[in-house]
Amino acid sequence: MTVCYLAHCLLNANAKVDEGARCAGVSTPVLSLLREHGAVIRQMPCPELAFGGTRRFWAVREQYDTPAFRAHCRRLAEPVAAQIRADLAAGARVVIIGIDGSPSMGVELTAAAGDWGGRPDKPNDEDYPVTPGTGLFTETLLGLLGDEVASVRPVGIGQDLFDYDEPRELARLGAVIEGGDPAAR
Amino acid sequence: MVPDAYLNAAAGGDDRMVELAAAGWGVVALPQPGLPADVEGALLRDIADQLVAFLDGGYEVGFAEPDDPLAVRLRNLLATQGRHVEREL
Repeated sequence: MTVCYLAHCLLNANAKVDEGARCAGVSTPVLSLLREHGAVIRQMPCPELAFGGTRRFWAVREQYDTPAFRAHCRRLAEPVAAQIRADLAAGARVVIIGIDGSPSMGVELTAAAGDWGGRPDKPNDEDYPVTPGTGLFTETLLGLLGDEVASVRPVGIGQDLFDYDEPRELARLGAVIEGGDPAAR
Repeated sequence: MVPDAYLNAAAGGDDRMVELAAAGWGVVALPQPGLPADVEGALLRDIADQLVAFLDGGYEVGFAEPDDPLAVRLRNLLATQGRHVEREL
C-alpha cells in the first residue's frame, strides 16, 4: 500500500495565494494519477492559509521564517507526523507530495530572497526567486519524523514554478509513486 | 468539506471527487476513521482554522455529508468560533 500525503492546495486551489492557482479547485491530473496507482490519499493542512488568511500577499521563505510561524507549522505538522508513523508501522510506503517553489511546502525548491519586504511590489513571474531548499512546513514535518524520515519519500510538484510543465511534473510524481526516482528538471 | 470516503473512494463505486472537481469545488477532507482521539482532535482543530479563513475571506463553504459524525463535530467547532455553514452539497 502506498499512502500519499498531499499538499492541501493540490485538492483545494482556493488555498493558494491570489493569482497562484493552477486550476479552479481540485488538481484533477494529480488526483487521477493517484487513483491510477491505487494510492491512499491524505490531505495535509495549508500552513499559510490559517496563518495569513486568503488575502495574503505572495511571500518568500524569509518573510515567513519567524518563531510564530515555525510554531504554527509545528502544531500543524505534529498530527500529520503521527499519521505517517502509524502508516509506516502498518507497512505502508509513504510519499509526501509538496509544492516546489513554495516558501512553506517546497521539497527540493523553495522561494527565498533577502530583499523581499515592505511594499508588496515583488513579481510573481520569471523573477520569482526560486532557490534550492525545503519550505518551512516541509522542513518542520521531516524534522518531526526523526529517524523515520529515511522511510518516507518526499517529492515536490512544481506548481509554484514559473515554467510549470504539468506533463513533466506528473511524470516525476508517477516515478516516485512507483518507487523510482524523478527525472531531473 | 468531504469525508475520507470521498478522498479514498471504494473501487467500482461513484467517485464524488470527480463530480466536485468538475463543478469547480476545492476539497477539504475530514480525517480518516480510526485515528487516536488526540490526533483526530488536532486535525479537526486545524481544519476548523482553515475553514474560518475561507469563511472570513468570503468563500462559499459546503458540506458534502453534513451528517457524518466528524462533520458534525467540525460544525460544532466552527460554532464555538461564531461561524456557521449551512450549505449542503
